[in-house]
Formats: sequence, C-alpha cells, structure tokens
Amino acid sequence: MATAQIREIQKKYCSRALMLAIIAFFGLYLAGQVAMGKGLLLGTLFSVVNFVLMGETLPTRLAPTKRRRITAALGSMGMRFALMAVPIVLAIRLDTYNLATVMIGLFSVQGVLLADGVLRRRTWPEQFSESE
Amino acid sequence: MELETWIRMAAISGAALSMGLGAIGAAVGEGYTAACANEAISRSPERSGEIFKSMLMGEAIAETSAIFALLIAMMLLFTGSGADPITPYVLLSAGLCMGFGAIGAGIGSGLPAGACCLGISRQPEVSDRLTTNMLIGASISQTTAIYALAVALMIMFLNLSASPVNPTWAAIIGAGLAVGLAAIGPAIGEGRAAQTACEGIARKPQAAVQITSLMLLGMAVTESTGVYGLLVSIILVFKSFPETMALAPAMSLLGAGLCMGLGAIGPGIGEGFAAGEAIKWVGRNEAHAGVLTRTMLVGQAVSESTGIYALVVAFVMIFVV
Repeated sequence: MATAQIREIQKKYCSRALMLAIIAFFGLYLAGQVAMGKGLLLGTLFSVVNFVLMGETLPTRLAPTKRRRITAALGSMGMRFALMAVPIVLAIRLDTYNLATVMIGLFSVQGVLLADGVLRRRTWPEQFSESE
Repeated sequence: MELETWIRMAAISGAALSMGLGAIGAAVGEGYTAACANEAISRSPERSGEIFKSMLMGEAIAETSAIFALLIAMMLLFTGSGADPITPYVLLSAGLCMGFGAIGAGIGSGLPAGACCLGISRQPEVSDRLTTNMLIGASISQTTAIYALAVALMIMFLNLSASPVNPTWAAIIGAGLAVGLAAIGPAIGEGRAAQTACEGIARKPQAAVQITSLMLLGMAVTESTGVYGLLVSIILVFKSFPETMALAPAMSLLGAGLCMGLGAIGPGIGEGFAAGEAIKWVGRNEAHAGVLTRTMLVGQAVSESTGIYALVVAFVMIFVV
C-alpha cells in the first residue's frame, strides 16, 4: 500500500512537470528558441528521473540499523547526483542545449510540488468553516 | 607555477568545496526526515503510505540546495574561465560561497519534513494541511541558499579583468564568505520555525491559520541576517577598490566578509528558536496570540543585535579602514 501511494504521488507530480515542460518546449520552439526548449525538456526529464529514484530507494533508507540508513542515504544521493550531473555537462559541452534552461528544468519537480502546496493552501479557510 | 595551472587547481578545489560542503546539509536534513518517518510509522503503521509520501516530498525540497551546489561544481569543472590573475580567486570564492550556502538550507528544510511525518501519525485527518505547511516552510528555508547561488553565479560571470588583483582578490573571497556563511544560521532558524508550525497544526488543526501566519512572520524576521550577508557580498563584488601593494586593505576586505558571514549564524539560529517557541505556544493558546507575537518580535530584535554589530563592523572595514 505504501508503494502504491508513492507511485501515485510520483505519477501526479512527474506527469505535471513533464507536461508543463512539453508545453514550454513548444512555446519556445515556435519563438525560435530551440536550444532553450531542449534544455528545459532535458533538465525536466532528469528531475523526474531523480524524483522516481528517490521514491524507489525510500524503503532502503528506512533500514533498521543506523549504519545501513546512512550507507543507503549516501549511496542513493551519490548515484542520483552523478546522474543529474549528466545534463549539466551535456549543456556545457554542446550548443544544442541551453545551460540556463537545463538548470531551471532540474528544479521542475520541486517547483510543481511547491505550486501544488501553495494552491492547496487557498482552500484552508473553507476547510475550517466546513469542519466547524 | 603557470597561471593556467593555478586556475585549474582553483576550479577543482572550488568544485570540491561546493559539492562537498553542499552535500552535508541536504544529507543531514534527509536523514533527520527519514528518522522521524521511522518513528511515525512505528506509531501508526496503517498510515505508512501517507508518511512515505510526505517524506518523499520533504526530501525532494531538502535536496534543492545540494542541487544548487552540484550546478556550481559542474560549471566550475567544465566551463572555460578567463585567464586573468584574479580568476583563481573567483573560482575558489564561487565554490566556498555555494558550499557554505547550501549547508543551512538542507538542514532547515529537513526539520519541517520530519515534523510533518510525525504530525501525520498523530493527526492523519490533517495530513494535507501539514504537507502544505511543510512545503511552504521548507521552501522558504531554501531562500538563503538561492542568495548564495545568485552571488556565486555573479562572481563567476562578472568581468573583473580591469580590476587590480590586489585588493580585489580579498573582496571576491570575502564576498563569497559573507553570503555563504550568513546563509547557514537563518536557514536553520527558519526550519525550526516551520518545524514547530507543523507540530502545532498536528496538535490543534483549528489554529492552523494563526500558526501559519506567525510562522511566515517569524521566518521573515529570521531571514534578515541572511539579507545583511547578501548586502555585504554585493558591496564587496561591485565596489571598486584602488590598487595597493599593502596587505592591510586586502585583509580588511576579507575580514569584512568573514565578520558578516560568521556574525549572521548565531542571530539566525537564535531568532529561529524565538519564532519556534512562539509558534508552539500560539498553537496551545491562540487567544493570547497578540502578546505572544509581540514577545517573539522583541526577542528576535534583541537576538538580531549582534548581527547588526557584525554588519556595522563589516561596513567600517569596507569603507573606513
């Protein structure tokens, strides 16, 4: 059940982030900024992969012993950050991808999380009056 | 040794400092979140799904500052830099700036994430509100790391070829230290405020609006010493200094950066404690929110005073000495 809920949240936020990135890509493409669009899409893709891997490694990071938790956390971070370095290096080496938009894309899942939290906060006063 | 070798060494050292220091805060924050999630799941195993969700979201936010550090490290390693004598100092400063700047944000973002997991185990009906509050609090804790990122990028891309090497090298290193070190305390303090806000909402959901308002106010005041660090950093980067062969003016500029950077750590954490406790007791006694808020603000103002002393001394070092 925990795994199902993690998958549900991954699908929700990752699909939103990808959808926004695809829409932005088409907008930038039509504006003639192809490298910026590709950079945004590439960064978002790796942000999604990072978030999915975080979810996959969650159970190992809740290991019973402290040593295993630390090892799992460090190993997970190392692997994911090595992966996230790939789009940055690609953007630096190749002109096909714009570095600034790759950097923005790497934070797309976090941005979607935050936007969802802020939008949900608007319903608080109604929730309180309903519960009272 | 040739200038190119110094530049390469500085780039590698800067990248190592950026990522090495930057990973500390995020790892501590994520580990704390996982520890609280363990406790929460042991209390309420039937809520493990929601607790896992919140843990995942909190850790994603806590990791942001480490991603900033990764970006700077990769740029230092793989982008070509100028061939000026000032370049090694620029690269080292950018690495120090982002490395130190990411520590506090990672720890600060982990605190509300852990409190959210524990709160869900105690009061699962308010898990949505807790998660929202956690996301907002954790994101605000990241702002000082964003200051450090902005200054690191500014330092890296500014054209300093026309500036005299001495004392500009000290101004650049001082700028990196000012904003990087000053980011630590406020971020941890803001995280503390967001943590107690999540605890308070879990204890008394009806007081959520007052708790969140006080959390935002307390965090805004706690941020101030981080802003002082940013201010000193910007002055050091953009002010032009006359060339001199003496070492004292250079050490004065370096000292200004260290003074403001170190001087902002204590007030940031102290103001965070004041905000955290005020939020905790408003959650238990919202009828007296007014007097509790006033007490918090007075306490934070007194705690801020040492940060202001550091700012004044930094200004004296830049403009007078």
